[in-house]
Amino acid sequence: MTLGTVIAICGAAICATLAGIGSAYGVRIGGQAAAGVVSENPGLFGKLLVLQALPGTQGIYGFLTAVIIIVRMGLLGGNPIALTTAQGWALFGAAMPIGIVGLFSAIYQGQTAAASIHMTAKQPDSSAKGITMTAMVETYAILALLVSILLVFGIQL
Amino acid sequence: MIVPMKKAELFALKQDRDALLLALQRVGEFMIIPTEEDAQPTGQEDAQQALQQAENTLGFVSQFQEKRSFFAQRPELDLQSFLKEDPEALELEQEAKKIAEQLAAVRSERSTLAAQMEQLTPWLPLDIPLDRLTPTRYASFHTGSISAGAVDPVKQAVEEQGADLTLLAPGPEGLAALLTCLREEEHAVLEAAKAAGFVENTPPRVKGLAKDAYEAYQQQYREAQKLEEQLVAQAEELAGRKEKLELLYEQRKAQADRQAVSAWETAATFRLVGWVRSDRTEAVKKAVAEVTDACALSFTDPTEEDTPPTVTKNNWFVSQFETITDMFSRPTTREGIDPNPVMAPWYWLIFGLMMGDAGYGLVMAIAIFAFKKIKKPKGEFAKLINVLWYSSITTMFCGVLFGSYFGETWHPLLFSPLDAPVPMLIFSIIIGTLHIFSGMILKVVHDIKAGHFWDAMFDQVSWMVLITGLGLLFLPATAAVGKWMAIIGALVILCTAGRGNKGFGKVTGGFLGLYNITGYMSDILSYSRILALSLATGVIGMVMNLLAGMVQGSVIGFVFSLLIYLVGHVFNIAMGLLSAYVHDSRLQYIEFFSKCYEGGGYAFQPLSIDPKYIDVVTHRQSK
Repeated sequence: MTLGTVIAICGAAICATLAGIGSAYGVRIGGQAAAGVVSENPGLFGKLLVLQALPGTQGIYGFLTAVIIIVRMGLLGGNPIALTTAQGWALFGAAMPIGIVGLFSAIYQGQTAAASIHMTAKQPDSSAKGITMTAMVETYAILALLVSILLVFGIQL
Repeated sequence: MIVPMKKAELFALKQDRDALLLALQRVGEFMIIPTEEDAQPTGQEDAQQALQQAENTLGFVSQFQEKRSFFAQRPELDLQSFLKEDPEALELEQEAKKIAEQLAAVRSERSTLAAQMEQLTPWLPLDIPLDRLTPTRYASFHTGSISAGAVDPVKQAVEEQGADLTLLAPGPEGLAALLTCLREEEHAVLEAAKAAGFVENTPPRVKGLAKDAYEAYQQQYREAQKLEEQLVAQAEELAGRKEKLELLYEQRKAQADRQAVSAWETAATFRLVGWVRSDRTEAVKKAVAEVTDACALSFTDPTEEDTPPTVTKNNWFVSQFETITDMFSRPTTREGIDPNPVMAPWYWLIFGLMMGDAGYGLVMAIAIFAFKKIKKPKGEFAKLINVLWYSSITTMFCGVLFGSYFGETWHPLLFSPLDAPVPMLIFSIIIGTLHIFSGMILKVVHDIKAGHFWDAMFDQVSWMVLITGLGLLFLPATAAVGKWMAIIGALVILCTAGRGNKGFGKVTGGFLGLYNITGYMSDILSYSRILALSLATGVIGMVMNLLAGMVQGSVIGFVFSLLIYLVGHVFNIAMGLLSAYVHDSRLQYIEFFSKCYEGGGYAFQPLSIDPKYIDVVTHRQSK
């Protein structure tokens, strides 16, 4: 195994880890708020579950990028490509946008989701507005995901 | 299309009031406008109270109901039987009330007994009746408790004074104990015992031995428990006939809605004002005529000051997507734009692009069809379900286009986003540009109809020319045309964007207008999320197939791989649906509506029978 392969593996691992931590944190914030509201009004469970699930997508994006890197490196096929150190660092760098942006955007999206959950508690009809506001935060995670994916596909191996 | 509204005014005799309101409620086309001169409705409080009572009864009874099966259907009733009063329901209500009261009493008795038993527990080993612990000629008795650590010091202190300490059973405050001493030494013994940690307290006041009293309590407790079981069984039996109570609730709800109507009144007449759809005035006229001819009903067009509610009328396909717009904001007659006919096909297409898997589309189509058949959703929720159902078609279509079948790539007609992300990005951005343009064209058409031809040219068409020109710059063959289109568009904007301002503002307004290019660019780039989401669905599906493929070595592995396929793809479909719904809506709300639509209308909510637990089949529906 070359140093380049090790560095690329580290990149894939870090991006899945950071985005996963962010999503876990974001979904936790949303879940706590939703549990409080559901204790008073069990009928809102369905609406609030959607809001709580929204910060969960960053973890999926991080996972997705990691898998694409692993597939491109040929790790799953059994004969991995021997990457140069430069290629390894390139893949490592490509994994960072979704890892770092995923970490923070999921936390902030969780806070927005909690605020929207409180809004839904007071006005159950406005849950769609809350979903839209919460989804605004995710835009930047999607942009980061795009950059990561385009970079991973763009690097010559 | 927005349906025009008519303002209806109904004068009638007070004696016909109840019958008229019932007729209007049945037809369900009359939205009452409360005015300031209205008299307070009479009988409203009684109706509300009766409704509250029915609601409480239902709440009580449903505690004892068995879990409703997923396949349970809402009962259906025709209007005649809905309006008929059911004496059995009233009896049921009385019975439920009685059981509820008895149950509350027996439960409180049981908890009192439990508390009394708990208090007695520490004194159970005492073989002296609790009411006989009074001082004798020579001896005196003190009861109390000792915390766990202080038992030995207290015992030592008491025995040093020559008195006796009998240790009993542990209780919440510590170990209960009986202190026996000579009367003349009482003071000194107590001092010493308290110093060592003895806390004096009295046992519960009962006659006789603690053990006997405890047994009596226990007996009562068992009886109370038995009674409670009987009452619960009765309540469960009632819960089996819950449908009658639900009907009672719905009847009282309809009654309370009628009673809540306030009207302007004289001694013998009343006046109702309300909104009616202009295409349904005949139905209202007919309903009123069936009750009485001693009334005057007139319809007028709304004036400038009126803000009528909004009803949109579209074909069966578009009308389902109205729920997406309504969640943002309803159209208004003042603005006069109903975005639904343009928005619906785009929502449909973009949803399919985001899911983009033929297999998932098939699963969606079958699962949602089954859900519709079994649960028969109603109202806005039913529309949302239909939107998802229709979108399964575009999902299948895009799946074939991009060659995605349950996460496996197979002969794409166009290209596969996984293998060719850059063409897919360009494709997404072209879709986005067309989507935004369609919104701007809607605005252009509306402006021209309203007589603002030049506004439409300057504010919408100039931008469309500029953006198209910028797009054409990327193709070598059209770069020259694109350059001139972009320049012309930009010049028009520069010259006209400040036309509303005065003096120097005309110049700065032009530059500020051109600065809006950043807004258009970020709107268009926002459509790159179509690529991101279609990749997300595709890659997760692929990973699930990879994982399942890795364990497929043996028979057990094969079974396990089936499980991975099932759970993995169901999860992927669920997350994909959520993401597609949320981000497709967002593209409509933020990127599309900002070009053509404001909204701000409110819903048309006529006086009607709107049951929660049952379905009422009216004559109109049965036709």
